[in-house]
Amino acid sequence: MTLTPRLAVNSASAAPGTTPVRRSLPRRAAGLLIIGVLLAFTVLLSLAVGNKYIPLGEVWTAVVNPGDGYAQTVVDSRIPRTVLGILVGASLAVAGALMQGLTRNPLGDPGLFGVNAGAAAAVVTATAFFGIGTAGSSVWVALPGAFVAVAVVYLIGGGGGRSSSIRLVLAGVVVTAVLAAWVSAISLSLPGVFDSYRYWAVGSLAGRNPDVILDVLPFILVGLVIALSLAGPLNALALGDDLARTLGVKVGRTKLLGALATTLLCAAATAAVGPIGFVGLAVPHVVRSVTGSDHRWLLPYCLLAGPILLLGADVLGRVIVSPAELMVGIITAFVGAPILLVAVRRMKVPE
Amino acid sequence: MMSAGVFKTATRGSGARATETGSARSGSAGSDSAGTASAGTASARTDLQAPAPAATSRTLRAGTWLSLPVRSRSLTVAVSLVAAVLVVAVLTVTLGTLGIAPADVVASVLGQGIGTDRIVWGTIRGPRLVVAVAAGAALGIAGTLFQTVTRNPLGSPDVIGLSAGAAAGAAAFGVLWTGIVPQSVGALIGACAAMTLVFLATGRGFASPSRMLLAGIGVSAMSLAFVEYVIVRVGREEAITLAAYLSGTLASRSWEHAATIWVSLVVLMPFALAISRRLQLVEMGDEQADALGAASGRTRLFAVLVSIGLATAAVNVVGPIGFIALAAPQIARRLVRAPGPNVVTSALTGALLLCLADLLTQQSPLPVQLPVGVLTALIGGVYLGYLLLGQWKKGSL
Repeated sequence: MTLTPRLAVNSASAAPGTTPVRRSLPRRAAGLLIIGVLLAFTVLLSLAVGNKYIPLGEVWTAVVNPGDGYAQTVVDSRIPRTVLGILVGASLAVAGALMQGLTRNPLGDPGLFGVNAGAAAAVVTATAFFGIGTAGSSVWVALPGAFVAVAVVYLIGGGGGRSSSIRLVLAGVVVTAVLAAWVSAISLSLPGVFDSYRYWAVGSLAGRNPDVILDVLPFILVGLVIALSLAGPLNALALGDDLARTLGVKVGRTKLLGALATTLLCAAATAAVGPIGFVGLAVPHVVRSVTGSDHRWLLPYCLLAGPILLLGADVLGRVIVSPAELMVGIITAFVGAPILLVAVRRMKVPE
Repeated sequence: MMSAGVFKTATRGSGARATETGSARSGSAGSDSAGTASAGTASARTDLQAPAPAATSRTLRAGTWLSLPVRSRSLTVAVSLVAAVLVVAVLTVTLGTLGIAPADVVASVLGQGIGTDRIVWGTIRGPRLVVAVAAGAALGIAGTLFQTVTRNPLGSPDVIGLSAGAAAGAAAFGVLWTGIVPQSVGALIGACAAMTLVFLATGRGFASPSRMLLAGIGVSAMSLAFVEYVIVRVGREEAITLAAYLSGTLASRSWEHAATIWVSLVVLMPFALAISRRLQLVEMGDEQADALGAASGRTRLFAVLVSIGLATAAVNVVGPIGFIALAAPQIARRLVRAPGPNVVTSALTGALLLCLADLLTQQSPLPVQLPVGVLTALIGGVYLGYLLLGQWKKGSL
């Protein structure tokens, strides 16, 4: 289990022909600090920017020294969505990093693997037929939906034992296509459901009930703790299953726990704010270029960088079509999809 | 000598028997008896391999400028498909509470219907049927061209992001920024932009199927995110119309829609037919095709352009209906049992599939009539899974 970081770094990130950059501990710690400061700044921005702009100084006062002025009211109204943004951003980014590590697959993204679609289909079905609308119960519906979707994707994609990254993604596409058709069939035949679904379907932080936060919090915390505890084994897993086993890693257990954590995180995030794509794909890719592929650094970095992307996208969505608002899912798709295109271009595939 | 004889038989079709006899004779003329025996086996195998005389091709000529080989099996299949489309069309018009009595169908179609028949044909079922036939045909041709170019059954417009791009373009210029360019031009802009992105992301043109698919996912995601944005921006009524359009719908199509798609089809189909012979050569590999004068690069580009045009025309009128472009060429190929882009049969199969799907959604017992695209997407997703499993077994992905 005690694996030197250098070994893990060299294994995956170093492109052939280039000498791997040695990333020293102080530099990485400093990077983590910078990202933390950036996150704090983004949080303040998220509280300040919107239809009514509150100067950062007043935001700071409102946060550390609550009063009851107008600025206080506005800031208070933005706190739930900011907290949700932090939670969901962290969940999706860590889930993405976990998935990419587990499947040794640069294309790992919860959305591409059908997790979001599974959760979404389950929630829409439950809302339509059993009238479950509040987020608390929708987490309980989203979880099994996400689990089933992941299981089916692995079954189709891993059929015959040898599962490749492309197969898993394509299996995810198939499952997503069928589930999306199902969701649109329901939402179109029941306009009442459709009206509320419209915002949730794209993924939006706006207009969420603050209770949602408490409902999904336990799932997200458990998922994050499991994910962070897997950092060491994941490093070993990057060397291949056999080598990991000789290093004393319980491969089966690691994969199972990883899948559990991924699904918990994604299902909770989807139940809370709707299916948001590409955060799980984009954040680990960007972070890896800074940290290398040592998961003991990668995962904490993702934990902080995910919320920066999501909150940043949310703030952007409030600004660019002001006074209207653009849902955060649209922005993340626009930011994240090009990263998929770049990853595809770099990918080595069997011709 | 012997193997050469078998090879010729396999490829030449009608000339098989004569060649094989020659080969057998030369075999027996050889010194040892083993040669004769093996030639005998070869002749037995020939009887199995040689296509039935019915499969021979004749050539359709018109003056000096047209010379199309027509296989009689293709002809039979095409005629049967036309008959099937007609049957489905008649069912579409006659079934249900609003159905026109079978005896009055001809009169109604000729514009001499009476009472409700006039409205049923003139505004409700007539346009949507006529649109369905042309849109299905356009999607079928677009699919077969793309699949031939990419040499892969997965390379079809709806899988690699073309339809989503066209839908985004149509939504952008038809609903959001109206008045800049017509919606159809907007759809074309969207489709071309999407294909450019896929082309750039795959690096080597449309050569690698897996890259193409993954790039298609990314481009589709961006396009659909954009359409979702449009849906949120516009009012609720428009949003529902747009959402139905987004999954592909034939409901409330008008005669203008019918005219648009038919004109596009009539203009573009001759190009597809003209390119199909060369595409058949390109299927054998670029070097072979170039050696035979088929200019593989240019042929591929031309075919992609025609395909984009047809798919865009269909998406513009009925929305991004999935599955038709994916499945029609494969079904057609199995029916005809011939390689190459079977343009005419693919078109007819596409038309039949779309009309059939529309008939099912119209006559389904659900309280709400779902867009036809939802049905095709459900079936299409399952079919896509089946295709992928097949490719994995072959190990080509």
